[in-house]
Amino acid sequence: MDAAASRPAVVIDNGTGYTKMGFAGNVEPCFIVPTVVAVNESFSNPSRSSGKSNWLAQHSAGVMADLDFFIGEEALARSRSSNTYNLSYPIRHGQVENWDAMERFWQQCIFNYLRCDPEDHYFLLTESPLTAPESREYTGEIMFETFNIPGLYIAVQPVLALAAGYTTSKCEMTGVVVDVGDGATHVVPVADGYVIGSSIKSIPICGKDVTLFVQQLMRERGEHVPAEDCFEVARKVKEMYCYTCSDIVKEYNKHDREPSKYIKQWKGTKPKTGAPYSCDVGYERFLGPEIFFNPEIYSSDFTTPLPAVIDKCIQSAPIDTRRALYKNIVLSGGSTMFKDFHRRLQRDLKKIVDARVIASDARLGGEVKAQPVEVNVVSHPIQRFAVWFGGSVLASTPEFYAACHTKAEYEEYGASICRTNPVFKGMY
Amino acid sequence: MMLLQSPSRFLLQILTDQVQNIEKGVDLDFHSVEFDDVRYHIQVSTKSPQFVLLSMSLPTPPPETVFFDGLPLGAIEAVKAAFGQLVQIHDPPKDGFNLTMKFNLSKLPPEEDQQHALLVKIASVREVVLGAPLRLILKHLSSRTVAPDVDQLVALVHRPKESFFLVPQADKVTVVFPMRFKDPIDTVLATSFLQEFVEARRTAGLNYAPSCLWSPTPPSELQAASAQELSANAGFVTFVISPRHVEGKKLDRTVWNLSTFHAYVSYHVKCSEGFMHTRMRRRVESLILALDRAKPDMDKSKKSTRIKAFKKLTLGDSRGNSNS
Ligand SMILES: Nc1ncnc2c1ncn2[C@@H]1O[C@H](COP(=O)(O)OP(=O)(O)OP(=O)(O)O)[C@@H](O)[C@H]1O
Ligand SMILES: [Mg+2]
Repeated sequence: MDAAASRPAVVIDNGTGYTKMGFAGNVEPCFIVPTVVAVNESFSNPSRSSGKSNWLAQHSAGVMADLDFFIGEEALARSRSSNTYNLSYPIRHGQVENWDAMERFWQQCIFNYLRCDPEDHYFLLTESPLTAPESREYTGEIMFETFNIPGLYIAVQPVLALAAGYTTSKCEMTGVVVDVGDGATHVVPVADGYVIGSSIKSIPICGKDVTLFVQQLMRERGEHVPAEDCFEVARKVKEMYCYTCSDIVKEYNKHDREPSKYIKQWKGTKPKTGAPYSCDVGYERFLGPEIFFNPEIYSSDFTTPLPAVIDKCIQSAPIDTRRALYKNIVLSGGSTMFKDFHRRLQRDLKKIVDARVIASDARLGGEVKAQPVEVNVVSHPIQRFAVWFGGSVLASTPEFYAACHTKAEYEEYGASICRTNPVFKGMY
Repeated sequence: MMLLQSPSRFLLQILTDQVQNIEKGVDLDFHSVEFDDVRYHIQVSTKSPQFVLLSMSLPTPPPETVFFDGLPLGAIEAVKAAFGQLVQIHDPPKDGFNLTMKFNLSKLPPEEDQQHALLVKIASVREVVLGAPLRLILKHLSSRTVAPDVDQLVALVHRPKESFFLVPQADKVTVVFPMRFKDPIDTVLATSFLQEFVEARRTAGLNYAPSCLWSPTPPSELQAASAQELSANAGFVTFVISPRHVEGKKLDRTVWNLSTFHAYVSYHVKCSEGFMHTRMRRRVESLILALDRAKPDMDKSKKSTRIKAFKKLTLGDSRGNSNS
C-alpha cells in the first residue's frame, strides 16, 4: 500500500453556505468557513490604462488577479473594507456553479487552511444527491490534474449523514435523511446504503430563506439595522435566538404576556461609523423556523410543510422499506439546529401517520387492526456537521482506500471513472 | 499570501479558542498533518483545561542527517528559549511522535497583545523545532563566526527522507536544495519556474536579496555528498546568505523561508497548474460557443438537450455570481 494511505484522508464537505474541512479520524472538522471567494477585480479591468495597452501588461495583470484572492471570513472582511474585491459564491443550491472559483477555493483550503500537500493524502469530497455526473468529472479532473491527489472518493451527503448517526451502536444504513443546509433542503431515503433516487424530495425552503424571513420581519417592524449589515445581522439573530415552537398562537400569547422574558436585544456597531446601535428581536424568534412547518407564511408558491413532504417521500419508497424508514429519520445540516426542531417534526409527522392508520382502520371496518407505525426522528449533537463527521468515520476505515478512484486509474481511463462511486463495505 | 505563513492556522485557532473558553472546559483530541509529513496531536482534557498537550512528529530523516534523541540538533534548547516557563517537555514523547510538550495556558501574560504573540509563537512550533539547527548556523553568521565543531557540509532534513545542504563560512552560508518532484508535469513546471525565479532575482530592486543560482547538476559545494543524496529531477537551487540577511528580526523569516523553500515551490507549481486549467476551460468554452454558432439549425430537440448539459457546467461561471 502506498505511503499516502498511512496518512489520514482529507475530508471536505463543500456546502452552499459553509465548507467543513479536516482530517479523517477526528470528531470535528478543523475549519468551518463560509464558501466564498473574494477576487481582486481591479486587475482584470484594464480600462484605466490608456486605450492601447500592451498585451504583456495585460497578461501579467491577469496572472496577478489569479493570485490575489481570499476565501472564507477573510474574503468577507476584504470585501467589506474595500471595494476592489468582488465576492463570488462558487456553490448555489448545493451545486457547483463556478468552477474557477471552486478551484481557487479548494486551493486555499488545502494549502492555506489545512496546510497539507495534496499529493500526500487521499481525499473524500461530498456532493448533493442531485449532482450531475458531469460535475463529478469536473471535480475529478481538478483534483487529479491540478492537485495531483493519489485517490478520490466522492460521497453523497445524506449517505454520510446517515453513517454519522450510527457510529456507536450497530451500523444501520437504512433511513431518511432530512438535510436542511443553507441553500438546499433534501429529504433522501436510503436503503442499505443505497439512495432511493426516485423518492428524493427537494424543498425550495432552506436556511437562507429563514434568514431572509427574519430580515424581512425585522425590517417591517422598523428596527434600525444598517442596510449593508442587514443580512449578516439577521443570520446571527437566527442562529442565536430562533427556536421552534409547538403552536404559533400560543407562542404569540406567551410573548405578549411576558415581553421581558421573550424579547431579546441585539447589539452591534455600524460598519461605517463604528457607532453602537441596538434593536429588538421578537416574534421572529419562532416565526423564522416556522416556515418549514407552515410555509404559506413565507411563500405563496410552495405551501407543503416539511413533515408532509417527508411522509410523501416515505410513501413513495418501496413498501417493504417504509417501516424501517419511519423508524430512522435522521437530521443533518445547520438549519436543523433550532431548539426543539426534532420534537416538532416528530409530532407533526406522527399526526399524519396516525391519521392514515385510523382512516385505513375505518375503511376496513375494524376487523383487522393495522400495526401502529413507529416514527422516530433522530437528533444528535453533531448535526451541524453530520455529513462531515460521517465522511471522517468512513474515510478512516481500511475499505475506504480500496473504494477510492486512484490517480493511476484516472490516467488510464480518464475523468469518466468519477461518474460512479461504489457504496463500499464500511457503510454497513 | 503566496508565502506560507509560519504559524499553523489550525493550532492557532485551537489555542485561541481554548484561552477564550478556558472555563467551559471541553475535551479536545485532534490529529492533523501538515506538508512534508509534520504531524500534530493536540489534547486537552476537561479536568485541567489550562494544560494543552501537543505532540509533534517530524519527517523521517535520511541517512546523511543526524538527529539527536529523535530531534534536530538544538531543538530542545530552542523550545525552552522560545516558550520559557510556559512549556514542559515530556520525556519520553508519546508513542509515534518525536516530541511531546505540555503548555500551561494559565502562565500566559494577561495583556492581550503579548498573549496573542505568544500563542502565535506556539503555533509556529514547527519553525522552532525543525528550524533549530539552521537557526544556530545563521545566528553564527550574523556575528560573522562559524559554530565550533560544525561540519563543512551540513545536511538538514526538510522533507521525508530528503535533506538540503549548508556550507557554513564566517562571511556567508551557502544553501543548496536538490529539487525533486514525483509527477512528471510538476517536474517540468518546477524546472522552468526555478529558472524564472533565478532570472527574476537579477532584476533591479532585488539587489539586496540573497544571490541565487539554478543548475541541472550538483554544484561544486556538494562534492562530498553521496550520489544518492544528489539525485534530483528538477535541478539544484543555491542561495548564498550573507550576514545582512540574518540581522535582528530578519533571522526568523530567513529560517522559515529556507526550511519551507521546497513547499513554496511546489505550492507555486500547483497554483500555476490551476491557472492553466482556468485558461483552458475558458478556451474550451469559447470554442464551444463558436461551434454552436456554426452549427446548421437542424434536429433541434435532440441537440439542444445535449448542449444544455454541457453549457450548464461550462458556462456557469460567466454568469453573475453575487449571491443575493
Ligand atoms: N445554531 C444554528 N441555528 C440555526 N441555524 C443555524 C445554526 N448554525 C448554523 N445555522 C444555519 O445553517 C446553515 C448552514 O448549514 P450547513 O452548513 O449545513 O449548510 P451547507 O452545507 O453550507 O449548505 P447545503 O447543504 O445546503 O449546500 C446556514 O444558513 C446557517 O445560518
Ligand atoms: Mg450541506
